[in-house]
Amino acid sequence: MASRDVVSYDTPLSRALSIFGTVFVAFYLVWTLLPFVVMFVSSFKDMLEAFKLPVVGDWAGMTVFFDFSPTLKHYTTLFTENSFGTYIMNSLIAAGGSAVISVVFGSLAAYSLSRVDFRGKQDLFFWIISTRMAPVVAVMVPLYAIFRSLDLVGTLPGLILAYTTFNLPFAIWMLKGFFDNVPYAIEEAQMVDGATRFEAFRSILPLVAPGIGAFVVLCVLFAWNDFLFAAIIGSGGAKTLPVATRELVQPQNIQWGSIMAAGVVTTAPMMLLGLVIRKYLVAGLTMGAVKE
Amino acid sequence: MATVSIRNVWKYYGETPAVKDLNITCPDGSFVSILGPSGCGKSSTMRMIAGLEHISSGDIMFDDVRVNDLAPKDRDVAMVFENYALYPHKSVYENIANPLRLRGASESTVKERVEGAAKLLEISHLLGRRPHELSGGQKQRVAIGRAIVREPKLFLFDEPIAHLDAKLRAHMRGEIKHLQRTLGTTMIYVTHDQLEALSMADYIAVMHDGELQQWGTPSEIFNNPVNAWVAGFVGEPAMNFLTCGIKGEGDAVSLMHKNFEIPLLPGQVRQLNGAAQTGVARMGVRPDALSISMTKPSEAAIRGEIFVNELLGGDMLVEVELDDCRIRVKTTPEFAGKPGEACYLTVNRDKWHVFDAGDGHAYF
Repeated sequence: MASRDVVSYDTPLSRALSIFGTVFVAFYLVWTLLPFVVMFVSSFKDMLEAFKLPVVGDWAGMTVFFDFSPTLKHYTTLFTENSFGTYIMNSLIAAGGSAVISVVFGSLAAYSLSRVDFRGKQDLFFWIISTRMAPVVAVMVPLYAIFRSLDLVGTLPGLILAYTTFNLPFAIWMLKGFFDNVPYAIEEAQMVDGATRFEAFRSILPLVAPGIGAFVVLCVLFAWNDFLFAAIIGSGGAKTLPVATRELVQPQNIQWGSIMAAGVVTTAPMMLLGLVIRKYLVAGLTMGAVKE
Repeated sequence: MATVSIRNVWKYYGETPAVKDLNITCPDGSFVSILGPSGCGKSSTMRMIAGLEHISSGDIMFDDVRVNDLAPKDRDVAMVFENYALYPHKSVYENIANPLRLRGASESTVKERVEGAAKLLEISHLLGRRPHELSGGQKQRVAIGRAIVREPKLFLFDEPIAHLDAKLRAHMRGEIKHLQRTLGTTMIYVTHDQLEALSMADYIAVMHDGELQQWGTPSEIFNNPVNAWVAGFVGEPAMNFLTCGIKGEGDAVSLMHKNFEIPLLPGQVRQLNGAAQTGVARMGVRPDALSISMTKPSEAAIRGEIFVNELLGGDMLVEVELDDCRIRVKTTPEFAGKPGEACYLTVNRDKWHVFDAGDGHAYF
């Protein structure tokens, strides 16, 4: 995966493109980051200050945005009047639980599909991914009916099961690629050295760790940001952060301050996670593509 | 240490047979090489011995124990793979220690054995490194270290030095042979390189198309090949083959060719027993069993024309054009003939071979 110096020479076109590129990136950054900045800053503002806006065209009036006395009252409200502590736990358990289950079963299934030949393997493999082809809303009603008859609606296990239904096929597909890239000779060497098949499987897990890491992140992100499952299957007993935030919008009273604070509380952990495992994620997502 | 017997073993991949009715007995403590071109079934054979492939039919015995249904870990063999198959995330020390750890050896035993193996292979200074920091030759030593650390019943080496450069390969040939002699463990060594087999093994099993062609010591294989295929595969530069007529009766039988007529030695006439009736045979003669001169040395000499000279350092290989074919002759670098000039070849009849024109089996 060695990167190479690309030899390039300046031409008027390349200079123009480079200027265009810089301008584009600048706009793109503003476009992407501004909502987060507004959310973050507003969560520390009083309602009155939050809605203070400069007149259109008055660029000097921009300072109004940063002219406020910071307050933590929205955050306090979240954790005292609303039980956001519980919702955070719910989100963590639902996302983490589904990630763990998907990784365990996904890696076992992916390993088998990668290493063992059996009749109908290709069909099975396709069938696994075909469960992801229907849009979520299409299966929501039947899924709800099934979950209700099993008393799983409004429970964390129900929510974990729902997320796993969608994460597991994804795990199998993604991890199979990683197992395919590990030379089988390494396991054979292990088995001749004295390992059982399962020990040999365990011994190559460190080699697919980047893949597992990348998958866990994507899986957690999917569950953490999900609204649809959480609203329908988790409603009531297993309320997660997005649903709880939505409930701050009441017909007669939209609690903007709390919504902004809830946004920060929801976004911050995922951003941190992204920063921490950024290296893994990139390595994991590109490793599958390049065979060494 | 073990005697390995392969009895009537077949290996099928789907409908395709890869190994056909193989019978080999490797004596205890011997160095056996399985030699053949790629696709001849030699690696399948080795993998069946290791337990990495199922045996379609037949038996493999270690001494008196039938191992067909034993998992690799229960066979007590150690294998060196062609691509080394080191564990990339473990240090050299941990790679070599792995078989001991899997068998639950104590930490002091592990340390002692790993350091012993490392010393024997002269890789003590590399123990802290990862495989990706090693050169090909070093990786190969680590793979051998992992095999010898446990003192198994049997070593299986699957073309372990095929990927090394020529000089290192020559060096490792000597080292591996010495190692096997020192440890005294039965070794089965798979290779497609006839030079490796000839120079290292006590016995060679030559395989072709899944069938055992010949079993014997290196000198038997080289000097008395059982058929034209073995004769052509073993030896470098390769043996020359010429299709000849057979003429004569009783004790005076000659090989006839457009360019020559050479009588057989009296003993060889008997070995040819009756094949004279078919009228044709293939003559096989190695480049070093021919001598070349610019003047006619005798009536039996073969007249030809020099096609090209190749200087191979200490030897000169001369390709000589006859009426309908070319044959190669090994001579000394001092040979002065130029391409296009006429020359004369003399066959050393003690070292030539005659093969059946049909199935290729050797008369002598």
